[in-house]
Amino acid sequence: MATDTMIESDLDISQLVDKPWVTIVWDDPVNLMSYVTFVFIKLFGFTQERAHELMMQVHNEGRAAVSTGSREEMERDVQRLHEHGLWATLQRDDKF
Amino acid sequence: MSAFSREDGIYSLDLTIDEAHILINLVEQLLELLGEGDFNHHYDESDPFAQLMAQLKAAPEEVVVPEDPVLLRLLPNAYADPEAAADFRRYTEPTLRGKKKRTLAQVRSALEIIVDEDRAGVVDDLDSEVWLMAINDLRLALSVRLEINPESFELFEALADEEPQKAIYAVYFWLGWLQESLLNLLAQG
Repeated sequence: MATDTMIESDLDISQLVDKPWVTIVWDDPVNLMSYVTFVFIKLFGFTQERAHELMMQVHNEGRAAVSTGSREEMERDVQRLHEHGLWATLQRDDKF
Repeated sequence: MSAFSREDGIYSLDLTIDEAHILINLVEQLLELLGEGDFNHHYDESDPFAQLMAQLKAAPEEVVVPEDPVLLRLLPNAYADPEAAADFRRYTEPTLRGKKKRTLAQVRSALEIIVDEDRAGVVDDLDSEVWLMAINDLRLALSVRLEINPESFELFEALADEEPQKAIYAVYFWLGWLQESLLNLLAQG
């Protein structure tokens, strides 16, 4: 019992101090599907299948989370996506 | 129609002189919109494309959210929250703007050789990813001016040939076709 409580409280603390951030890519009517897939593979090293799946999610659902991590890492990802002309934002994971 | 090709890993682009002129005009206008005016441009004021990228007003001194919708599309907000977006922009936008200008300037230099010799020509040994990103930024810029949406192709097809917008739509769709031809080559690895 005591052990369980300790583990739970450890988890809570780690979530508070290291809340993950997420990079969202939004759909637009201009970027070609093949281009979005190409950029996902280039920037994130996804397989063709994974990149295609995320591109389709952007296309069908209007957005997709493409990476998670610290705020600094997500800011870097958003910047690289903007360099490539994709419409991307970052936010705390719990809002997505 | 002209397209990208690849031989022994070397990429090239075959262009007619008209296509080279259209491309360099658009590249130069977008460079100017991004704040890079340090070159002799190749278009004159009578060019039907010359006003396409004309900036609404002089660029502000400090880094703020751009008023021109083309600039806002190329240099978008990174956060939904305006304050966080403004902070991020202050630190990162000059870098992003600089990278886009360098990419476009590389394409301009390659095109200048063809245009100044006034002949149809091949852009040889080009940097495929630089061209891919430059063409994408040109498409994004035109799409804002044309207010592109999923129904745009039908709209364009229905336009009468003498409508001035028709030529600009045609260039927009041509750029998409050109980009797809490069992506096909890149996907072949």
